[in-house]
Amino acid sequence: MNRRVYLDHNASTPVHPEVLEAMLPYFSERFGNPSSIHGFGREAREGLDTARERISSFLKVSKDEVVFTSGGTESDNMAIKGVAAARGRGHLVTSAVEHHAVLRTCETLAKQGFDLTVVPVDGHGMVSPDDVRRAMRPDTILVTIMHANSEVGTIQPVAEIGRITREHGVTFHVDGVQTFGKLPLDLDALNIDLLSFSGHKIYGPKGIAGLYIRKGTKMASVQHGGEHERRRRAGTENVPGAVGLGKAVEVRARDMAEEETRVRTLRDRLWTGLSKRVPEVRLNGHPTERLPGTCNVCFRHVESESIVLGLDLKGIGVSAGSACTSGSVEPSHVLVAMGVPLDWAMGTVRCSLGRTTTAEDIDYVLDSVEPLAGKLRSLSPMKV
Amino acid sequence: MRYSDTLIDHFRHPRNVGMMRDPDGVGESEYAECMDLTRVFLRVREGRIEDARFQTYGCGPTIAASSAGTELIRGAALADVLELADARVEAAVGGLPPDRAHAAQVVTAAIRAAARDAAARCRMTSRQGD
Repeated sequence: MNRRVYLDHNASTPVHPEVLEAMLPYFSERFGNPSSIHGFGREAREGLDTARERISSFLKVSKDEVVFTSGGTESDNMAIKGVAAARGRGHLVTSAVEHHAVLRTCETLAKQGFDLTVVPVDGHGMVSPDDVRRAMRPDTILVTIMHANSEVGTIQPVAEIGRITREHGVTFHVDGVQTFGKLPLDLDALNIDLLSFSGHKIYGPKGIAGLYIRKGTKMASVQHGGEHERRRRAGTENVPGAVGLGKAVEVRARDMAEEETRVRTLRDRLWTGLSKRVPEVRLNGHPTERLPGTCNVCFRHVESESIVLGLDLKGIGVSAGSACTSGSVEPSHVLVAMGVPLDWAMGTVRCSLGRTTTAEDIDYVLDSVEPLAGKLRSLSPMKV
Repeated sequence: MRYSDTLIDHFRHPRNVGMMRDPDGVGESEYAECMDLTRVFLRVREGRIEDARFQTYGCGPTIAASSAGTELIRGAALADVLELADARVEAAVGGLPPDRAHAAQVVTAAIRAAARDAAARCRMTSRQGD
């Protein structure tokens, strides 16, 4: 039996045992509808309230400013479409490396008559605040820039961008799915008006996420059918999920700082090992301003999926940077925006470490990837 | 696992890897949409494939199909290899998911190209001998 090593924490994480334990009663004991006024409903409501309190105290915001959603994608849609619907027309600013939940939503609004500026990034995948400043117009209604990129991990200068949006009186949405519960975040200092965050990236369950909405932000509901979430998101709340997210946040608040240091050390051990042992590799993303657990690497002249498959057969889970869908490869839009040459981009693999990753895991990955890359290159007509 | 055991075996232990000195036929095929590239070398004796080798850049299924495809044609009549169907290479890796069907296509195209090259050289040699 192979060792099993999970290095895909930016995709999803295992539910923390403490989170699971907190959730369990809410499936069959405290199962009521939190909108019901009887005791069963009140028990569920209590769970929901405690979860909201934990999240709001973690973010140092008011409870009323936190809305539960079904996922990061819904949070992004709600934020962007909500602002757009409240204003009816105007100009949006985003970046070329956003998650598709943001990019596609902005593009859809552009087709519906909104104006859109997509600012570029540099070779490290970083947005220039000056580009954001230049993009601002009198009719700009929203700037939406992610906190950290899920593929390469680059952390965007959200503080500087927040200053610009504040100067212009423009709403600032930040997709914080990859940083929430991983890095400290001061919403007031960063002038963030809307923040998307998710449960399953921080050892909570899937199907639960949230959107922070600063009091006074002009938003219209995009989902109708009930009075839930202060009329901002109709639909019975996912109570076990919310309880799980609340607990996950509590655990993160406790463990985050220590884990960040540990994971960063392991991530650097991985890159140092790769760069020493495997020829023709390059690290993508910012050398320092990067998510602590993210190591996105190009293996020149090797195809991403063959590495992913080869490592999978060794029990190692990583993700391909360039996905082959329906027989055509789409190099990641993030790598394209960063200007990574195609012969490198095609061989991109993302390793994302987490709380259970050990030094032995990293060494096992290095011992597996070195011969694999060598073998795949020996098969290739393209010589390195 | 979304791939067959046969495919995984060929990916893990690819057969017939590498170049060939003085081949009788060389063929190449590229699947532009995903940049897969396969090159096949053939040794032909008395109208039959005596040896086949490959070099491939591509995803796991394409590497496996290269191995299985070159194994499949060993001993086959050159005339038959000229007409080799994609489905036979696909079957040789135990089938492919629909979104990886190109793996068999690119390998089969390279094999057919190598066979055409071998057949052309063969005709040239025989003409020179006339």
